[in-house]
Amino acid sequence: MNRWRKSVGEIQARRRQVIECERGQAALCKVTACYKQLASFLGSSSDCSRLREELEETRTMAYTISKGVQKRLTTLLTEGELGQEEREEVERVWVLFISGLEMFQQDLRKAAALQDLFPLTQRRDRRALLNTGCAGGGSGVAARAASVQTPWIRVEEEPGPDLRTHALQLDGMAQEMLQKVNVPFWSVEATQEAWPEDTEIEPEDDDGEEEEEAAAVAAMGDALEVEVVSPEQDRGRGCCRNKRCRLGWVLCLLN
Amino acid sequence: MTIRNINDHGQRYRPRMACLKKVEALVVEMQDPKNGVKSQTQRLVITTIPHAITGEDIVAWIANCFKVNSEEAQAIGTMMVAFGYIYPLQDHKRLIIKPDASLYRFQTPYFWPTQQWPAEDTDYAIYLAKRNIRKKGMLELHEQEHYNSLHKWMNHKWDFIVMQAKEQYRAGKERKKPDRVVFDCQERAYWVVHRPPPGTVSAMDYGIDRLIDPNIEEVTEIIYTQQSIMRSRVKSSVSLGAIVKYMTTYKSHDPFLAPCLPSNPWLTDDVTYWDLNMPNVEIPTKMRVERWTFGFGELLSDPRGRADFRLFLKKEFSGENLAFWETCEDLKWGAAATMKEKAQQIYKTFLAPGAPRWINIDGKTMEITVKGLVHPHRYVLDAAQTHIYMLMKKDSFGRYMKSPVFKETQKKAINPEAHRFSEAQLEQNARKRTRKASLSPLIVRQQEEEAKARLAASGPVDITQVMSKLDRRNMLKEGEKKELEKKEDTVGQRKGSRGQRRRNTRLCKFTAPVPHLAVYTGICESQQSNTRELLPPSPGFITLPNSAACPSPISVAIHSTPASERKFECHGGSTSAPFPSIAESAELSVESNSSMGTRAPEDPQPSAPRSRVTLSLSRFLRRGCSSSSVFASLSPKCPPATGSRVQPLGHEPLSQPQPKRIANFFQIKVDIPPECRIYPIDSEDEEEECPNAGTGAVKEIICPWET
Repeated sequence: MNRWRKSVGEIQARRRQVIECERGQAALCKVTACYKQLASFLGSSSDCSRLREELEETRTMAYTISKGVQKRLTTLLTEGELGQEEREEVERVWVLFISGLEMFQQDLRKAAALQDLFPLTQRRDRRALLNTGCAGGGSGVAARAASVQTPWIRVEEEPGPDLRTHALQLDGMAQEMLQKVNVPFWSVEATQEAWPEDTEIEPEDDDGEEEEEAAAVAAMGDALEVEVVSPEQDRGRGCCRNKRCRLGWVLCLLN
Repeated sequence: MTIRNINDHGQRYRPRMACLKKVEALVVEMQDPKNGVKSQTQRLVITTIPHAITGEDIVAWIANCFKVNSEEAQAIGTMMVAFGYIYPLQDHKRLIIKPDASLYRFQTPYFWPTQQWPAEDTDYAIYLAKRNIRKKGMLELHEQEHYNSLHKWMNHKWDFIVMQAKEQYRAGKERKKPDRVVFDCQERAYWVVHRPPPGTVSAMDYGIDRLIDPNIEEVTEIIYTQQSIMRSRVKSSVSLGAIVKYMTTYKSHDPFLAPCLPSNPWLTDDVTYWDLNMPNVEIPTKMRVERWTFGFGELLSDPRGRADFRLFLKKEFSGENLAFWETCEDLKWGAAATMKEKAQQIYKTFLAPGAPRWINIDGKTMEITVKGLVHPHRYVLDAAQTHIYMLMKKDSFGRYMKSPVFKETQKKAINPEAHRFSEAQLEQNARKRTRKASLSPLIVRQQEEEAKARLAASGPVDITQVMSKLDRRNMLKEGEKKELEKKEDTVGQRKGSRGQRRRNTRLCKFTAPVPHLAVYTGICESQQSNTRELLPPSPGFITLPNSAACPSPISVAIHSTPASERKFECHGGSTSAPFPSIAESAELSVESNSSMGTRAPEDPQPSAPRSRVTLSLSRFLRRGCSSSSVFASLSPKCPPATGSRVQPLGHEPLSQPQPKRIANFFQIKVDIPPECRIYPIDSEDEEEECPNAGTGAVKEIICPWET
């Protein structure tokens, strides 16, 4: 009886670990997405030291998350005794995690290069910043990044590396991971099918507004559109699809 | 991880686009609020977005900045748009600058084109997924195709892509409305540059990658200067003279400068010209023949010319040069798997001392070639081939030009009349052309193969064979051993250069089952007389050493007879090594020559029959495998009938049929490889011998040890 209870406990613990890894990977996704958004501000007229600080914070957060996930994944795959399905799941998370790291590393490198290109140390450097039309800052995004929660985020705080070292470190991290665990990438299959977005349930609170604008803009004769709706018939279709577009179907008639 | 992140040692470097940095500097200048392009705000329905610039302002500013005219300024502007530093707000897919009031905006540096980080497929996939989320499947056709293919190729990270797309979409929502619009425009513009819609070309397409890293310092200055010193230089007057000469020679043959007769098939749709100039046509055209006179290379490269030359050489009995050259070409261009055998074959046929088609190259080249053949490779015969080529060029080619063969061909060559088609006829030709198909290349290839086979089957002109026939005829006339010897000497003198062959034919008899021959005294002399017949080409010769080992069981029997022992000793040396090398055999032959001389006066009587026997033996050996089966069936025991044969044999003059029957006795288990059979030596002999082989075999067998 005791043995049975222990094994159940083990299974549950393992399950928890797997879920933890998945959550961690999702969190990393979130943080890296925010980082990307923030990085797109670099060099533009809305670039400022505040932005760079936010970038740094997001990056350190990403660092801790990634470190944690890496540790847990590696232990699970090398030592943990996983069942077949669990193993597949963890391998999937592994592959996704590494892909995420790869993308993040690219972003880091870009950010480093841009920060070199547009240093903000002196006042006159601000003149070099491009007027790209972006007015606001990335505080909203940074806040979103900061809101990410992972179980180990408070516990395992260690000083993160600086930008360039981080980018280099990621290489080493990836190599280490690949050496320790042998997971062939092709063995992982996507759980989502192609074009899943058709069945997406996204909060469309301001989509109506967007559609309106796009349609109205289209009415102005091929002026700025947010999305590509080049063929005439498609545009009509797209407009009509959105039920909340009041203006849209009027314009469809026009077009 | 994709392969990129693992050290890619086969790294290819992108050709640098140095213009990018310059354009960046220009852009920074342009957007300067004070001196840059005037910016205005773009008004959309609800929002206004600052920092829009008009095309005409851009062009004007560039023209002013660089002091160029407006066309050039427009070109520069278009370049900037094509690279993606500025993107149009309307008509976003056409990356050009319109010098009117159409609006543009500066691209944010994050989306600037770089060569360090090329646009990734993963990012593109995320972008498409994001667009799909936003627009619920409103991707364009080419985008949809990309999406599907990316889904297939990146299936393992597809979950990540979708997750990331969603996250980016949500993160984007956190921004203010105008910023969101701007960001979407920026991203879209970025991907128009890096994944251009079909029918357009990305300005970032730089062609194929370089092999060397352009960023590393080149430390090749010394090597570079050394190489430039080593380069051979030609005076321009000399090279110009060569060009002029070439032009004057080939002027009338150039299809652009001179009309081709009868008519250019591409122009008139009439293929007579091609039919007349087929590679193996019977009667060549006059132009073609004229071309052969330009140079030896031209003659050889034209298959018809080569065939003509081959015919000429055949008449002159120097066909081996061309054959050697052709086989060398075959080796050079042939498959690697068969190279070794081919090289060995060529050696045996052409290069080995005593080869049937021995080519005459100087000693040094021969040395190099033979050394190279130890480890044969594609170009091992290159030196010899070049030598032969120059030989043919300097010697045979000149004679060919003056020869009756060539004159005949020249006379027969046709000069077709030029076609004169009317319009209607041209149209008709065009219609005909679509219906009539030329020979299928498969058939053409088949014909070529057949021609090649026919050529090979007609047999190489084996000079040794010719000479051997002459010798045999002489021998038959004499019928006496001594006279034969004399003949041999004269023949040997006549054959001067073939002395090697003579020596080696003697080798054959010693490397042949010598112990058997040992039984028959007079081996030496008769063998000597047989030298001419023992013209087995080197292949047979080379392989014969094997047979020396075979006769061991019989040699035991032979050993018992005193007669054989005697003979045995003299050839003891020859049997010591079962596989004597060429040099060894040469030595042996020298030895045996001397021993031959001593033996000759001793046994005149038995020598005669034995000579015949050995004659037949040698012939048997030459015949090779074809006879081996016969021998295998026969037992070594001599039938009683043969005993009577000995006497008559001694008195009868040497005749060809006799030795044949005796030869059948020697049914040694000789493993003479098929190479022996390559040379159709003594074709006459074979024809004569074959019918008798079966009938006379058992009756007239002589037991060697009973004589």
